[in-house]
Amino acid sequence: MDTEKIARKIPASLWDVVSEKLVDITLKSSNASKMPSGLAKTILYYWQRDQLATEVGLQRLLEASMILEPEKAISLLEELGLPEIVVMLKETQR
Amino acid sequence: MVEFGIEFVPRDPYWKTTFYAIQAEKIGFDYLWITDHFNNRNVYVSLAIASAYTERIKFGPGVTNPYLVHPGVTAQAVATLNEIAPGRVVCGLGAGDKTTLQMLNLEQRKPLRTIRECVKIIRGITSGKSLEMQGKIFNVAGAKLSFKTTSPIPIFIGAQGPKMLQLAAEIGDGVLINASHPKDVENAMTFIGKGVEKAGKELNDLNVSAYTSFSIASSYDKALKAVVPVVAYIVAGSPEIILERHGIRVEVASKIREAIVHGRWKEAFSLVNTEMVEAFSICGTPETCVGKIHKLLKAGVNQIVAGSPIGANMRKSISMIAAEVFPHFEETAEQKGT
Repeated sequence: MDTEKIARKIPASLWDVVSEKLVDITLKSSNASKMPSGLAKTILYYWQRDQLATEVGLQRLLEASMILEPEKAISLLEELGLPEIVVMLKETQR
Repeated sequence: MVEFGIEFVPRDPYWKTTFYAIQAEKIGFDYLWITDHFNNRNVYVSLAIASAYTERIKFGPGVTNPYLVHPGVTAQAVATLNEIAPGRVVCGLGAGDKTTLQMLNLEQRKPLRTIRECVKIIRGITSGKSLEMQGKIFNVAGAKLSFKTTSPIPIFIGAQGPKMLQLAAEIGDGVLINASHPKDVENAMTFIGKGVEKAGKELNDLNVSAYTSFSIASSYDKALKAVVPVVAYIVAGSPEIILERHGIRVEVASKIREAIVHGRWKEAFSLVNTEMVEAFSICGTPETCVGKIHKLLKAGVNQIVAGSPIGANMRKSISMIAAEVFPHFEETAEQKGT
């Protein structure tokens, strides 16, 4: 999944809100066991350094939420008015 | 100075517990305690990874017990953690949770003697010297670590009954009073005073903590829903003297214990009433929690441990503590670098 490219499309003005909500989706997921350990460690690394609301942080959160809760992640981005990103994410699911 | 600790039960995947540990450090908690029950993730593995992602917070098992793990192994584990995070490791020790120990058919034999010898072994081994000890419970013949512990590891003893409280104050560096109610803390302070006196120490030399069951939410009902399962476990494991102090019928506590042991959770939780919640937890809105913390501090403790469940939504509850509880204890919040 090319989340790097997708994360770059998120306007900087929305980084905080997207990060907050993706963290929520990830932590509340009942599919927590699907989380790849390496990805989890990367997210923890960025969290410790307050970098989850950055391009690289968002990239990892998108990756995690698309593994754990793809429908919730897509509907969040729809709600935030990011149709281009929604299309790109849906394409990654095919 | 007031300190705050937080307890996590490693029931969730390691990355969630670690995420919350990082959050707890960020908002200014002083201590991170992780419980030790065989049926959850291993406490030392959980602490090791949490330590790798934190820089300041002190941490340790909260609490381990000598029935499940030999004190020599506990000494080895905390000494290894101390190598990862020098000066940040504490060792919480107690007689164990009766209900969980029963599942492994382990008996809490001679808890006072066992804890006394256990502390001696952990102190002895982590001091780096070779330990010889002929105890009534443990015999140690020249036990020595092959590596050095560079800083002392304070031992906190979890206690609830009078004799254990006295022993904890006498031989521990800290006491973790299993209590959320000021009445229990006031009572505990009498025995802690006796223990301190016996050891020829000052009360100020001791870290006295109220290890509470804590549940904070925007409404009482939300907080209540989260705390009921934890209160059920506490009631099930509490000595009769404590139950009677709060007017809780021993027969009901026995029924709860029986239901838990046999996995009848719904039945166990349905037997929990408001008196039990009031007696064994800090539960409610931030305002309610702040009020109860003030009462506990007045009763004589200098650390408040926000124990499980913390709240219905862990992340939100930790943020709520930062925004709406810590500011009432300015001295603490300011010194945490929040």
